[in-house]
Amino acid sequence: MVEWRMVADQPAALAAAVLAVGILLGYLVGKLNKRLLTAAGVPGAIEGTPFERTAQSLGTSTVTIVARLSSWFVYGVAVLTAIHIARLVNAQTFWLRVTSFVPQLFIAALVLIVGFVVADKAELVISERLRGVKLPEVSILPKVVKYSVLYIASLVALGQIGVNTDALIVLLAVYVFGLVFLGGLAFKDFLASGAAGVYLLLNEPYGIGDNVRIGKHEGIVQEVDVFVTHIENDEEEFIVPNSRVLEEGIVRMRN
Amino acid sequence: MPEASELFAELLPDVDAVVLFSPSGSYYEDVIADAQVPVLVVSDENAVGAEEFVELPLEFDDVADRIRFGIEGALEQGLVEDGDVVACAVSMFSDEIDTVTRVRVDETMESGIYNLFSDSRAEASVIRAVLELAIELGQKGQKGKPVGALFVVGDAGKVMNKSRPLSYNPFEKSHVHVGDPIVNVMLKEFSRLDGAFVISDSGKIVSAYRYLEPSAEGVDIPKGLGARHMAGGAVTRDTNATAIVLSESDGLVRAFKGGELVLELDPEDY
Repeated sequence: MVEWRMVADQPAALAAAVLAVGILLGYLVGKLNKRLLTAAGVPGAIEGTPFERTAQSLGTSTVTIVARLSSWFVYGVAVLTAIHIARLVNAQTFWLRVTSFVPQLFIAALVLIVGFVVADKAELVISERLRGVKLPEVSILPKVVKYSVLYIASLVALGQIGVNTDALIVLLAVYVFGLVFLGGLAFKDFLASGAAGVYLLLNEPYGIGDNVRIGKHEGIVQEVDVFVTHIENDEEEFIVPNSRVLEEGIVRMRN
Repeated sequence: MPEASELFAELLPDVDAVVLFSPSGSYYEDVIADAQVPVLVVSDENAVGAEEFVELPLEFDDVADRIRFGIEGALEQGLVEDGDVVACAVSMFSDEIDTVTRVRVDETMESGIYNLFSDSRAEASVIRAVLELAIELGQKGQKGKPVGALFVVGDAGKVMNKSRPLSYNPFEKSHVHVGDPIVNVMLKEFSRLDGAFVISDSGKIVSAYRYLEPSAEGVDIPKGLGARHMAGGAVTRDTNATAIVLSESDGLVRAFKGGELVLELDPEDY
């Protein structure tokens, strides 16, 4: 008890102790974070993204950066606590503002890093999927996805540190509305055919090998998938959207 | 005594193209960076993004088979011409490219294997999966005993109309495709029973236990093969399907197209 009071009476010593514990804790948190991220397979998942490549060329990696960031966060908290204990800065309001701002800054930085990595990864995955399509117009799609993700990430980050983002949010709303509206318009036939296709696949009113007539098309069913049905006769092969199958009805031919 | 690189220098000059078999990405980039002649890639998938690419549908263990297939595919796609001389870089012992051979492209090298994959009605990946299944079945058999099997791939609607069921179809109202690991086990189990498997163009297993009833007229398959081969060969003449048959007696896998035997391979070689 006596000793404790002695320490408490000497704020400088206490501050030094807090600082030491903080530095140790920060180091451990950084190490633990790195282990956890590596164990979760993060390095493999983000391999090849431009962010990771930039990090590699700077002699570090995304995992190291995130781990360092968490260490720094703990260091920062320790330093601030130490300053407070040592009463180096006396203004109470300054102290309050700083303590509330540091975690936000930390989260903002984290969101930005995650945003960058996710955006790069999304771009990579989509361009990989579209590699078979050798059209120049298609190459814009991965870029659009990348910048959409980046936009949202920076919006979250800016919101964290208290920048006024109302105008940006309005822009985002317009963008999302456009995406949903135009997307719905573009994919309406696919949706209708897909819904019909689920019914056709589950209930199999006709199967491969059956002789059917759909609308004006008559032939043997060769293939049924979610969106279309392939019907073939001796001369022609019809690829009928499944929505049409339900609209026009199916005639099964008996012979 | 001259250096080894001088001794074999005559192997490489004046080639019309270089054919790389399953190169790694960095190897391909090294080659393409200062290549004077066209560079072709033959691989199971176009991982390096090559423009001139031939898909290798099977892991040919035999290097000669692999090269023959690659050149046949390149010939078919018009990437090389009859009489061209190509340098083939291929891996024989290690995983990396360690062997270079000089080959003269010859129309007579065609065996029809490439055709089997590229010109069939069914998707190449489906034929590949069925062929792999037949090979695996031939290697292991069913519970150690040799089994026979008959797969009819592609043009399933017509095949179904030219066959009748021997029993209830276990694949009715199921949506299973060849190539899924669990399906291979199912197909192995069902191979104990008689009849043919019918598989659609996109790989859906339409039916098992089918008794094929094509007209066997004008089917030209080697004498000595049994009813299973005859049925398989005949159905490919009547329809646009491809038949892959695993023989119970000699254990060979044979493929038929248009009523003719186009491929014969020994499962033990793979």
